Amino acid sequence: MEHGHKQSFASKYLFSTDHKVIGIQYITVGLLMAVIGGFLAYVFRYNLAFPGKDIPLFGQLLPQQYNTFITNHGMIMVFWVGMPILLSGLGNLLIPTMVGTDDMAFPFLNMLSFWIFTLSAIVLIAAFFVPGGAFGGGWTMYPPLSAGGYMNTSPDLLTALFSGTSLMILAVALEFVAMLMGGINFLVTTINKRAKGMTPWRIPLIVWFLDIASVIFMFSCGPLVAGAFMLLLDNIVGTGFFDASRGGDPILWQHLFWFFGHPEVYVLLLPALGVLGEIIPVFSRKPLFAYKTIIYLALASAVLSVVVWAHHQFVSGIDPRMATFFSVGTIIISIPFAGIFLAFMATLWGGSIKFTVPMMFALGFVALFLVGGLTGLFLGSNAFDIYAHDSYFVVAHFHYTLFPDIFFGFFAAFYFWFPKYLGKELNVTLGKIHFWLTTIFFNSTFFLLFFNGLHGQHRRINDYSFFGNVAMEPYSTFEKVATISAICLILSQLVFVLNLFKTLSSGKKAAKNPWNAATLEWVTDTPPIHGNFETFPEVYRGPYEYSVPDAKDDFIPQNVAN
Amino acid sequence: MELEFSARVHEKKVASDGVVGMIFLLATEMMFFAGLISAYIVNKAGAMAWPPPGQPRLPIAVTGVNTVVLLASGVTMWMFAAKNKRNTLSDNKVIGKNLMMLTVLLGATFLAIQGSEWAKMLHFGLTTKSSMYGAFFYTIIGAHGIHVLAGVFTLFYMMRKITTGTHPSPKSLIDSTAIYWIFVVAIWPCLYYLVYLS
Repeated sequence: MEHGHKQSFASKYLFSTDHKVIGIQYITVGLLMAVIGGFLAYVFRYNLAFPGKDIPLFGQLLPQQYNTFITNHGMIMVFWVGMPILLSGLGNLLIPTMVGTDDMAFPFLNMLSFWIFTLSAIVLIAAFFVPGGAFGGGWTMYPPLSAGGYMNTSPDLLTALFSGTSLMILAVALEFVAMLMGGINFLVTTINKRAKGMTPWRIPLIVWFLDIASVIFMFSCGPLVAGAFMLLLDNIVGTGFFDASRGGDPILWQHLFWFFGHPEVYVLLLPALGVLGEIIPVFSRKPLFAYKTIIYLALASAVLSVVVWAHHQFVSGIDPRMATFFSVGTIIISIPFAGIFLAFMATLWGGSIKFTVPMMFALGFVALFLVGGLTGLFLGSNAFDIYAHDSYFVVAHFHYTLFPDIFFGFFAAFYFWFPKYLGKELNVTLGKIHFWLTTIFFNSTFFLLFFNGLHGQHRRINDYSFFGNVAMEPYSTFEKVATISAICLILSQLVFVLNLFKTLSSGKKAAKNPWNAATLEWVTDTPPIHGNFETFPEVYRGPYEYSVPDAKDDFIPQNVAN
Repeated sequence: MELEFSARVHEKKVASDGVVGMIFLLATEMMFFAGLISAYIVNKAGAMAWPPPGQPRLPIAVTGVNTVVLLASGVTMWMFAAKNKRNTLSDNKVIGKNLMMLTVLLGATFLAIQGSEWAKMLHFGLTTKSSMYGAFFYTIIGAHGIHVLAGVFTLFYMMRKITTGTHPSPKSLIDSTAIYWIFVVAIWPCLYYLVYLS
């Protein structure tokens, strides 16, 4: 094994096959995409609160641009921020170190995965600069808007291929190839490369969850890729798969899309729950409550996740008997997640809780996700969903699930593992300021939108001054509060950026195991060398042995024999 | 060799990395074809007449023969992989190379026959735009064709690696290639039945 040998800059940072570098690359690109996604959100939120006004740093927003911006905001935040940061980023950083091995099973494939992902991001952004602009028919890409050149005129094959619609489909397809390569790597590494003694029930929760998320992703992405293939053919070859006038069916796309799209929610949720599963025991100094049960619950949710998709289609013209089936399925799937959260709360119970920055983000996640999860129960029942469909109630609901999930989950992981993987201590005060500003402004951005939605505001309308009956007071004030808060929310991330760069340039060197955690990544050097371990560790115990009576410290690392 | 080394410092492998990875890839592929097939079945069930009047009929007999060709290539691949599994010679010694050549030949024959039938059908006026019948035919059978083509390339890659002896674990390479090829062969009769016969 080539431990920590000298490498050129390109092979060390650009075309590295080291899983840690690839993980950091994924997170970096994900954060850069978050800047773009955040900027789009800023522009259309500003337009909603102050329609017709010039937007600072942008100018006038045309109605078609509004559509393009909300579409790409959704696409970017789910597929180019959530996926690379939570699944690929954390998966690459953590899996090999936590199962106690030197690298992924297929390091070259892993490097390829990152570069294909980067290419997909470039293709997506390139769509903004082709004639006709990027696709603007909503991130779900429903036909007929996405098929047959409704959004872009496509007279010949080449123009059709380089239209905003086709480029978005291609970008998604490329991204899926990248994620598939990553997922295969995660699973094979966990199955075949675990350290001696790392039996299945000694694998840390986050590794389990990343693997379950990969399985869900791989199981559900096939039909969407099939659908995307057909949609691309509709656009560039002129087939009529989703064209009702030619014997096709636009609803078919919705089924293929949501068969993937709903499990995708759990693909994003499980890694972040895994982060909680690592952080909460460490800062409660207690073993994770009901470790095995949590894994069984996650497996149950994985199975259920593929039979709930049509709850996104209650207003698409669905058989009421089928709607009932999907309503019931949707409400049932909240049970495993309620169980998982309950187990986390039980872990806190009676523990000696330390409010460190990662712990604050972890607990903030739980509190905010509760709001998102509970409103999800309302929306799952089709009677209510028909009323609330496509309103700001839905917008507020999924932002209350996905924002805590992607950002609080990531920040918790960032403040927790940064000292290990980059070897510097972050500033605690700035971390706490970052947490409080993010929490306050997130809530003031989205909470009021629940009321706007219930009042009947539809999410696809760019200028409510034309709809006086739903834009009266206090709802137009709520819009302004939401916009100003959203701008503050984006600006408060500067605290995070400041902390990051300050630490990288002048941070104190971090200790080997600053949090006294028991899993294997804390056994490595800080930061871990290429190849992770000087000698491969042997595992003797489960991952959460905290507050052990009669132990030397209050915890026993996994690699310590009795 | 690789397996022994890992047994000392790692938990025992379930199967070689290549095989485990291939199984996950094929599970995804299975769902891809399931997506296409279910779209096809739903559309067919809702159509007025299937196949639609005025559209050419698919070449059932020739494709039937072609099915036998592809199945035969699956059998030769299976025999080749099984022979090498029982093979107790040193790790880098591969036996039964004729079976490997035969597999490539049969796979390429299948592609050639498919190609010539496609050319005929396009000539008769069955295109992706002419009807949903044509669109689904070319999409599903084309998707399978791309997989066969990828399989033939993979077989070539395997042949080169084996004959030059440059792969670290040829048995794992043979196993994972065999699994892929047999998957591509095994879904073909299902597609043949669904698209050509029913």
